[in-house]
Amino acid sequence: MSADKRKTMIEVVGLNKWFGQFHVLKDIDLVVRDGERIVICGPSGSGKSTLIRCINQLEHHQEGDILVGGVPVEKKGGNVREIRGQVGMVFQSFNLFPHITVLENCTLTPQLGLQMPKAEAEEIAMKHLTRVGIDDQALKYPLQLSGGQQQRVAIARALTMQPKIMLFDEPTSALDPEMIKEVLDVMVELAEEGMTMICVTHEMGFARQVADEVIFMDQGEIVEAGAPESFFANPRYDRSQQFLAHVM
Amino acid sequence: MSDTLIFSPKPDRPAPAESVGLIGWLRGNLFKDVPNALMTILGAYIAFVVLSWVLNWAIFNAVWEAESRRECLDTVGRSGACWPGVGVWFENMIYGLYPKDKVWRINLGFAVLIAWMIPLWMPKVQSKVAIGLSAVLIYPFLASYFFLGGDKSILWTALISMSLTGFGWVWATALSETFVGKSIGEVIVDKAGARNADERRQRLIKRGAAFVIFLVAVLLVNEWALEEVRTRFWGGLFLTLVISGIGITFSLPAGILLALGRRSDMPVISMLCTAFIELFRSVPLITILFMFNTMLPLFMPQGVEVDQLLRAIVAVCLFAAAYMAEVIRGGLQAIPKGQFEAAASLGLGYWQTTTQIVLPQALKIMIPTIVGNFIGLFKDTTLVSIIGLFDLMNMARAVGEDTTWLGLFIEPFFAVTMIYFVFCFAMSSYSMRLERKLATGRDR
Repeated sequence: MSADKRKTMIEVVGLNKWFGQFHVLKDIDLVVRDGERIVICGPSGSGKSTLIRCINQLEHHQEGDILVGGVPVEKKGGNVREIRGQVGMVFQSFNLFPHITVLENCTLTPQLGLQMPKAEAEEIAMKHLTRVGIDDQALKYPLQLSGGQQQRVAIARALTMQPKIMLFDEPTSALDPEMIKEVLDVMVELAEEGMTMICVTHEMGFARQVADEVIFMDQGEIVEAGAPESFFANPRYDRSQQFLAHVM
Repeated sequence: MSDTLIFSPKPDRPAPAESVGLIGWLRGNLFKDVPNALMTILGAYIAFVVLSWVLNWAIFNAVWEAESRRECLDTVGRSGACWPGVGVWFENMIYGLYPKDKVWRINLGFAVLIAWMIPLWMPKVQSKVAIGLSAVLIYPFLASYFFLGGDKSILWTALISMSLTGFGWVWATALSETFVGKSIGEVIVDKAGARNADERRQRLIKRGAAFVIFLVAVLLVNEWALEEVRTRFWGGLFLTLVISGIGITFSLPAGILLALGRRSDMPVISMLCTAFIELFRSVPLITILFMFNTMLPLFMPQGVEVDQLLRAIVAVCLFAAAYMAEVIRGGLQAIPKGQFEAAASLGLGYWQTTTQIVLPQALKIMIPTIVGNFIGLFKDTTLVSIIGLFDLMNMARAVGEDTTWLGLFIEPFFAVTMIYFVFCFAMSSYSMRLERKLATGRDR
């Protein structure tokens, strides 16, 4: 083991998953420590999203163990809801709840899940909305906002549950170039505050700026992992070199 | 290199005069080009012909005073309507054969329902959900006593008193929330000086107050003695409203549960719900009515007799629930997977996700179809005439079988048409208003 003394937040051991006969994740091992920022990249269909969706059990795996904060995730229900409470997630398609206002999007789950009184939930929600710069739009409905604003609301919404880890599943892939930056700025700020993050993204600039480790996946396997400087400067595998040649 | 150019957008100009305003609208919609103008003129002509024909028959040529149909025919022949027959029978078309001296009970029953719902439209009232639910869940006891009357057992007395208590509580809350801004429970807690007491004590005080009102209601209800009116005297619009009202209020919650059950991960529940829905959807309503009317008594133990109206209501309810279930399921299918995933990733459970995230959206999408089903159900209740219940439609037919008004069918049917139209159009416009009110930016 490495000499790193930081607490292990997520540990994935020997993870295997199949969609029917299709083997999507093959023997994945991954350790994420407190405050670490991991960027996962790779061609589409390589299993990146599936991997992070297994961590909060939006996808169920067949083999291997996932430990969140040292607690193993029970495959059939059990503690899944507690685990999900600790792991925030941001989706490519925002997935805000369109029938309630932006503010209510951020107060609904703390009120239901954490039994928080309404006033306190609103105070916390406004704090997070202010931090992502949407406080003045709090009473609008999600679909009245631009894509970038919606994604920032989604980040604020995840933060209201006070997660210990944030998962980002291609958070900028559905956005116009001008909006990508506003979302990345929020993510960079979050990273600088010490949030433990796993991001699936093709934004190599972001990876270079904040990542502690870049993981390159292809065909369900982790091909290589390393610090961004060494990964971008000299990828060891031909597959990683080809990929970088395309996205850089 | 040259200097940086500064981009300044052109100023807005007003739209051309001929494309806005009344002239613009007329030009754009009615007289856009030659075929369009011809269609407008043709359409106006058809509307004029039909309308003038109907108005001539129903109003200008109509007979308003006569003793019998013969007299009408002698005056205007068939060129005008003969309204006196409908006038004579009108009360029967509304109340059926309900004893004339007891009709006030029906009026009172519906007046209470309207009074119960009024707070839902009062702007300052907050507990609208509770009031709406109470109208659906406890009002029926009071109404059925008004309509049915008869002896009261202890349980029946308690239920009616509870209903009366609920009515008092609804209005007390509506008034206190309008004028003081607090629900009646909070007002009572304040008056008892327990504003700072813990939650359990406060709840106890509220329940105590409700119980006192309940006791008063029991004393009141005990004094009432309404004579029994058997359901076979029920009829007309009253019967139609009872059957369709119960069918509508039952079908929505039952349909929601069936739809959720059909989509359930638990195979037994899913299979049972699917079997129920498919069974009731694949049989015509008339068949179900006949089945319940003639076959149900065969399966009942000896001596147990189920009221004929009740049989019809149960049949309509089950049929409507099966249809509603498929409508709701359509709405549930339309909710993107991402909504479920987002709710799950935030740690919400099945019921929280269903009641807070999925159903509000699904029901909203399906408002036009749901209300369409309600309207359909309202009109389908005319089929109960087949098993011998005298609903509005059957009552209208009875007019033409009266010896004085023999053969008078068109006029009562015209009147029935108008009555159905008023109710259905009211439902339809309410649904459109609801859609506009619930719009949240997705809709154009």
